[in-house]
Amino acid sequence: MKDRLKDFVSEHRDEFDVFEPRPELWQQICQESQAPRKEAKVISIKFGERASFSADFLFMRVAATVVLLLGCGLTLLLMKQNTPGAGAMLAATEQKVITNIAPEIVEVEAYYVSQIEEMKGELSEYDKKVLGLGEQKEIDRELARLDSSYLVLKKQLYTTPNTEEIVEAMVQNLQIRIEVLNRQLEVLQSIKKMERTINAELKENETTNI
Amino acid sequence: METISYQDVNSHVIDKCREGDNRAQYELYKLYSKAMFNVSMRITNDYSEAEDVLQEAFISAFKNLHTYKAEASFGSWLKKIVVNAAINAIRKRRSELVPMDERTIGDIAEETYEDDSEWKVEKVRKAIMKLPDGYRVVLSLYLLEGFDHAEIGEVLGITESTSKSQYSRAKKKLLDIMKEPQFAA
Repeated sequence: MKDRLKDFVSEHRDEFDVFEPRPELWQQICQESQAPRKEAKVISIKFGERASFSADFLFMRVAATVVLLLGCGLTLLLMKQNTPGAGAMLAATEQKVITNIAPEIVEVEAYYVSQIEEMKGELSEYDKKVLGLGEQKEIDRELARLDSSYLVLKKQLYTTPNTEEIVEAMVQNLQIRIEVLNRQLEVLQSIKKMERTINAELKENETTNI
Repeated sequence: METISYQDVNSHVIDKCREGDNRAQYELYKLYSKAMFNVSMRITNDYSEAEDVLQEAFISAFKNLHTYKAEASFGSWLKKIVVNAAINAIRKRRSELVPMDERTIGDIAEETYEDDSEWKVEKVRKAIMKLPDGYRVVLSLYLLEGFDHAEIGEVLGITESTSKSQYSRAKKKLLDIMKEPQFAA
């Protein structure tokens, strides 16, 4: 059957388009499409006709950053695990869970760890000078022991309901370490002082002898 | 010959758009915005909504330009985007575009007298805008946007035969509207 309406409309098709958008509309479109414009560049990899993989630059950049960060994180983690020092217990990945269980420990831990690192730095300066300290190894062993018990405590934090006690023990553990390091520092300082006075006396003796 | 050169100009502009060239995008907009705005207007029947649809459609088109393969003309590719955006817009207003009870194929008195001697574009156009949403969308997609009933069915989520019967009803209603005394003038 003949559709005369359709014929009529297609005959006058152009006359039906009577509306026009406001000229300002382009500005809006322009502004909104401006932001994701950088995405326009596309990297595409084709594997024959069937499978093709395409990703824009922004996506690739984000992906590359993620990979890079993951790599750095993993290297850091491995390095920390290899050194048996006091700082090894700071696995940043666990931080989030801990903030839920015991939020105060995160700050406390960060504070003490920075103190410990500082003191260790100071100590290492002394170590370079030979001061004839036989107990050095013993202290390292003690610190390692404290470190491992700290790790045990931290693990318990996830499973035990009584977090307060454990947090207290953890803080105590950190304080003991500081105490140990402090003592060592004091010993080293006094040894150095003694050495200095002995040297001074020796010099004085020499000068008086002449 | 003319169509080929036209296509060539287009594909050149489209390539530039893909690189994010702003002026090329404006060129495409100038070329298609009026036609696309009228498509959007006929479906939404609301000026500001039609503008929102046009904006959304162009932004989405620029963003997804890399998916456009030259197998269809750019205009019809863009029109599909506009039609879909416009239909989504009116779907937000009402849940069913084509009511369930109208989806069965009823016998429509096909023989309405079509006296085209009194038809004028302006009269037909205004009468189309008076149709209820469901009728207006099917009728304008079929008559003005060059969709066939299979395509209309796909776009609206109805069967081809429902689209056909819906079109018949819409046409009948349209002719009735044009016969109304206030439309005679």
